[in-house]
Amino acid sequence: MGYTVCPVERALFLSGNEAIAQGAARAGVRFACGYPGTPSTEIVESIAGLDGVHAEWCVNEKVAVETAVGASLAGVRALVAMKHVGLNVAADPFMTLSLTGINAGLVVVSADDPGMHSSQNEQDNRTFAKFAKVPMLEPADSQEAYDYVAEAFALSEEFDTPVLLRSTTRLSHGRGRVLPRVPAPAPERSYERDMTKYVMVPQYARRRNRLVLERLQTLRRRSEESPLNVLEAGTVDFGIIAAGVAYQYAREAFPKAWYLKLGLSHPLPYEKVARLYQSVSRVAVVEELDPFFEDQVRALGLPVIGKEVIPADGELDPETVFHALEPFLARRPPRRRRPVLPAPPRISAPPEPVLGLPVRPPVLCPGCAHRSVYAALRRFDLAPLGDIGCYTLGALPPLLSLDSCLCMGASIGMMSGFNKALGRKAAAAVIGDSTFFHSGVTPLIDAHYNESDGLVLVLDNRTTAMTGHQGHPGTGVRADRSQGPAVDVQRLCEGIGVRCVTIDANDHKALDTAIKREVETPGLGVLVALAPCVLMVRERAGTVTVDEERCNLCGLCLDIGCPALAPGEVAMTLTDACTGCGLCVEVCRRGALARDPAGGGGS
Amino acid sequence: MNGATTVSLVGVGGQGILLGAAVLAETAMAEGLDVKASEVKGMAQRGGSVLSTVRFGRHVYSPVAHRADLVFATELLEGLRGLDLLAARGTLVCATTRILPGGVLRGEEAYPDELAAAAAARGVRLMLLDAEGLAREAGNLRAVNVVLLGAASLVLPFSADAWERGLAAAVPAKILDVNRRAFALGRDAGARQEVPR
Repeated sequence: MGYTVCPVERALFLSGNEAIAQGAARAGVRFACGYPGTPSTEIVESIAGLDGVHAEWCVNEKVAVETAVGASLAGVRALVAMKHVGLNVAADPFMTLSLTGINAGLVVVSADDPGMHSSQNEQDNRTFAKFAKVPMLEPADSQEAYDYVAEAFALSEEFDTPVLLRSTTRLSHGRGRVLPRVPAPAPERSYERDMTKYVMVPQYARRRNRLVLERLQTLRRRSEESPLNVLEAGTVDFGIIAAGVAYQYAREAFPKAWYLKLGLSHPLPYEKVARLYQSVSRVAVVEELDPFFEDQVRALGLPVIGKEVIPADGELDPETVFHALEPFLARRPPRRRRPVLPAPPRISAPPEPVLGLPVRPPVLCPGCAHRSVYAALRRFDLAPLGDIGCYTLGALPPLLSLDSCLCMGASIGMMSGFNKALGRKAAAAVIGDSTFFHSGVTPLIDAHYNESDGLVLVLDNRTTAMTGHQGHPGTGVRADRSQGPAVDVQRLCEGIGVRCVTIDANDHKALDTAIKREVETPGLGVLVALAPCVLMVRERAGTVTVDEERCNLCGLCLDIGCPALAPGEVAMTLTDACTGCGLCVEVCRRGALARDPAGGGGS
Repeated sequence: MNGATTVSLVGVGGQGILLGAAVLAETAMAEGLDVKASEVKGMAQRGGSVLSTVRFGRHVYSPVAHRADLVFATELLEGLRGLDLLAARGTLVCATTRILPGGVLRGEEAYPDELAAAAAARGVRLMLLDAEGLAREAGNLRAVNVVLLGAASLVLPFSADAWERGLAAAVPAKILDVNRRAFALGRDAGARQEVPR
């Protein structure tokens, strides 16, 4: 695996969690975060004291993953740890992170709790690796916990994917000898904007999704070759497939059996499974909780001893494994069968543009105040990290003013991690009002608590516009259109302790001044850019007139992507969709456009 | 594919594609047919391409199909794009309306001009209508969708009574008369077109 044993260090006696922390630090992790939860808590606790690592408790696991993603984008290796049920909270960013991939390596540690020593359920999070189509590593002791973290970071960067490192209570809270080793150094990475990779609007997400399906196939080939998946020869006609601590239980119960020990346990190495079946005629899968491997082995058409005797709940131990499997050794082995390895799945061909025709992507409406915010924001050297709503359209040509869109509410946590990793105000968060209430408040609390630097722009258009103008707590409008109490964004922010200013998003100069002031002020600030959705406003601000003498059709005004502007024969023309917002007037350098407050009219 | 007739309605967000589909579905139901419809909303609401599909027949299983027997386009470029959805010997009912996409506005792409040639090359029956002009004549520019339905009614197997019931069921009462006129104007304009088959 490319390790060198460090000659000056003695063996340490570490818990699995401590080993993950120390292994991560040795692997060059610079940012670690999580939310406490048994049995994962000591990972972040132990890493917090180590040199070169910045550690944070986050407000919850979702925010923790988003913050770690921000750090990874900025170019530092990041680790995020949580208990099994924490990944439910973080599932939103985790699932789409599989599509965007990472910049610097990103490892998500899930510590599961078979037996529910300290949990409300005992869900088997290996399913999340399959669900998200990401690779999973399962260490079986403290030494492997230490080593596999470095392996996880290397895999993450090689395959451009988050890696799930799965532990269980007996690994996390068990102790063992660890010989410290020095892995290959982490390569330097810097942030490069790439909307097609980090902005998961449908047209880009479809392409990334095909790459994920292809990645799963190359990962399976890696799994076949990986020394982490070992076929260990035995002396009896009995083979066992196992990973993690379940491998240790089985090894102790049946020392003479053959083993397929899985370290890179997803995707499953089918050919290695087939080779085990060539060596022995009886095979059992020993695994805690769900028949995760067993189902996959059965799908290959192979007979297997599994959950009919190995308990599907609670923890295992060597005696339980022995008594469950021992009777099978006396029975006649099943008839040998050849496995049927599945063909790689078919992946749809990427759609061709029909007849080479111009595409018609959705655009921000004429007069939409989001456009004003983007026009102002792009004058500053800030990576605009985004969120989900109409304003996500700002990522598309010609605006190209939004760098990321991962999931609802991700922008603020990502900004926090990004700026922490770089140690300066390098990114801003752009989030809509409804999205802010959906899941923007918790990361704001988190960023304040962890004293992150940053600028949060709440694009408050007083509605949930993208889906058709539904109400939300900021407006107080309820599903039946009745009026309930409304929550004031500025007062909410101030209540948290974050400075907040509300500005009229149609006042372009005020917007510019307010952003400039925030960029120059250290710490965290919120700007609420307020302007009701233009589709809800009946009164128009007028229209824009064109001075045909001055307009030279340079096209600068077209860069703001307003569909009301169109080049005519001699000068720009404005369609009657123009609302008179005047943004194009400010963009024009020749003074060819002018606002006419009396013009236009009607709605 | 199985005896069901497929109509695809294409256009630009905000052009009344969904209402057009609703009228068509109500009309088919008024004929006592089974109907399934499917639409893609969301991003398309912001001036993007919109596609809605209506399928009718004695019994309809799938809500979507790869090929349509009739494509109904409220915009010229979308009509051209819609040719790709059309089965062999299908019909394209298309408005002459042009709505320039961003790439064309910025001069990065050219608005195509070859609909008639492309339709002829594919053996498609084309009905090209100044639907905006007819809608204005009927009394409401937004009735472009129903003008096109009027033309499409020439090739769809529904009675005048079924169309009337379909319109009344899907169109709000206060604009029903305008839409009745738009439908009639569209049907007349369609009938005046040469049909090279």
